[in-house]
Amino acid sequence: MFFEKAFRHGKKERKVIENIRSHLSLLRTACYTLETALEKRDRNLLGEVINLENEADVKRREILSNIYDGAFLPYLRPDLCKFVEIVDSIFDFLEETAYCYLEAEIPPEMGDECLRVAFFNRQMSEMLLITFQALVDGEDLREKTLAIRIYEKKIDDIKNYLTKDLRAVPVENFWNGLYLSNFLSSLTRISDVIEDASDHLQIISVSIR
Amino acid sequence: MNVHEFMTTRLEFVDGGASVYEAIEKMVDKRIRSLVVRFSGKDDGYGVITARDVVFRVLAKGINPQKMKVAEIASKPLITITQDADLTEASGLMQKSNVARLFVSDGQRLVGLVSLMDVMRAMLIMRARGKYVL
Amino acid sequence: MWKLLGGVFLGWSLGANDSANVFGTGVATGLVKYGTAVLLTAAFVLLGAVLEGPKCMGTLSELSRLGALEAFHCTLAAAVTMTALTALAIPASASQAIVGAVIGIGLFYGSADFSKLYKIISCWVFTPVCGIIAAYLFHRVLRYILEKTVVTLTYRNLLYYWGILVFGCYGAYSLGANNVANVTGVYVGSGQLSAETAALIGGISIALGVLTYSRKVMMTVGKGIAPLDPFSALVVVLATAFTLHVFTQIGVPVSSSQAIVGAVVGVGLVGDLRTVSSKMLAKIAVSWVLTPLSAGGLTYLIIALIK
Repeated sequence: MFFEKAFRHGKKERKVIENIRSHLSLLRTACYTLETALEKRDRNLLGEVINLENEADVKRREILSNIYDGAFLPYLRPDLCKFVEIVDSIFDFLEETAYCYLEAEIPPEMGDECLRVAFFNRQMSEMLLITFQALVDGEDLREKTLAIRIYEKKIDDIKNYLTKDLRAVPVENFWNGLYLSNFLSSLTRISDVIEDASDHLQIISVSIR
Repeated sequence: MNVHEFMTTRLEFVDGGASVYEAIEKMVDKRIRSLVVRFSGKDDGYGVITARDVVFRVLAKGINPQKMKVAEIASKPLITITQDADLTEASGLMQKSNVARLFVSDGQRLVGLVSLMDVMRAMLIMRARGKYVL
Repeated sequence: MWKLLGGVFLGWSLGANDSANVFGTGVATGLVKYGTAVLLTAAFVLLGAVLEGPKCMGTLSELSRLGALEAFHCTLAAAVTMTALTALAIPASASQAIVGAVIGIGLFYGSADFSKLYKIISCWVFTPVCGIIAAYLFHRVLRYILEKTVVTLTYRNLLYYWGILVFGCYGAYSLGANNVANVTGVYVGSGQLSAETAALIGGISIALGVLTYSRKVMMTVGKGIAPLDPFSALVVVLATAFTLHVFTQIGVPVSSSQAIVGAVVGVGLVGDLRTVSSKMLAKIAVSWVLTPLSAGGLTYLIIALIK
């Protein structure tokens, strides 16, 4: 009975890790899709982002049920679940960004900077995947989390410029203004939450040492 | 990773004919360390005035910044680099020219600025990426 | 035969109380299911008692010559003392209670041999010290080895899980080996039982205590040490087991509670002296003095009352 549990034990954990990895890959794909959508002004791609959010939701539920099925030591489980939930909320912001972009008209002078933000978001999501892999491999996460913080500060700077510029944009229609504002706010929130997620990986890393 | 990914696209300008004090005000308000100098008259190029220039050549010498013109302490020509150059080129050029920032040009146009800090940050990211192939 | 019941009662209460020192952390943090922990403890306690229990049996009988009836009085008095101290929420050590009882009887009948007492008392004093040193060393050495070998998340996880189980079993084994002498050692001294039989009966009674009454103590003790990270928890159990095993070879039964407190302090020393509370150190010092005195005193009274 015990040996069976031993081998099964390793398997459950590996499954969870695999699933989290594909969850993070989905995130990277979604960020990349959003970036391309903004670059090519392709409204269909925005629909793709929304689809990916649904797929991610399914994946999240699968991971959570796998974890509580008995993977990992009990004291690790809440932290792992919290991480998955944080990543899931990033998808929500991506979806929100996509919706708002569909509804709003982005002033052309802001287009480039918005694209840069989407570009950095994608880089950050890749770095998050790398950070997770490093955690699984038992490596020190310091350099990876620093890289993520660097990206986040870069985006923060751009956000400051954008917010200042926004005030100069003429708004004829309240709803257009609202969607534009929401678009910018959710676009820039993505990086904050990715940073949160990486901080959480650091917490997990420390607790297993 | 190339310069384009890490540069700042927002450039702040100041006229050559403005006083150093006006330049200082701009630097303080915008929290930046350098300004691109636009020369009036026949000189069509650009120059740069940095915090170092302001401190070492004006303030520390006790000279009144309101009485000095930007053009008198600006450096020119600008040391530039192209958008698709990579980090090693950028850092090498900075070291050779002993400057802390490079201006990014696209032909004759100035499109951005890459600073020492930008290069440092980019290199840290390269380190973090490390052996991971994306 | 009925006189053996004193020992059985003592063994049962020891099992109920001390088994928490072995698997308490594991159960309270949800690592190990209570049922699994209890079964493993009972099995390994019995194993330890039978295999190495006899090593400590001699010590008690050297303290004082006992007849069959006196042996019963000893174990009964010790068991009552244990129960009373537990009810008053004072940590109770079976080793100290039984020694107190034997000395009590010895004083009463004038057959006490105090020279042997010095060996016993110095072992008591050294128990937490050994716990501290063992825990500190194991922590440093194992941490070093671990960082070089088992690094990945899955393997670490697996290691901690199996570590708690294996070291827990070792702990139960050492507990049985070391403490069974407290339970039935007096009967060997009085000639009623052979060392092996005494070990078997003692082991079974401890196991019964573990199986039937250890839940409450396991939950509370475990929660007290639970804030430790999993690696430290492993080291604490290992150090406790090792300490008990060492004293088994020396032949003196010691207190598992004192060993584990020492182990926790030892682990705390690795990090930072600040995590070692002077309160904890004071607690150890007080138990050293208070328990045997109160046990002995109480026993003397009980014997006097019975007569």
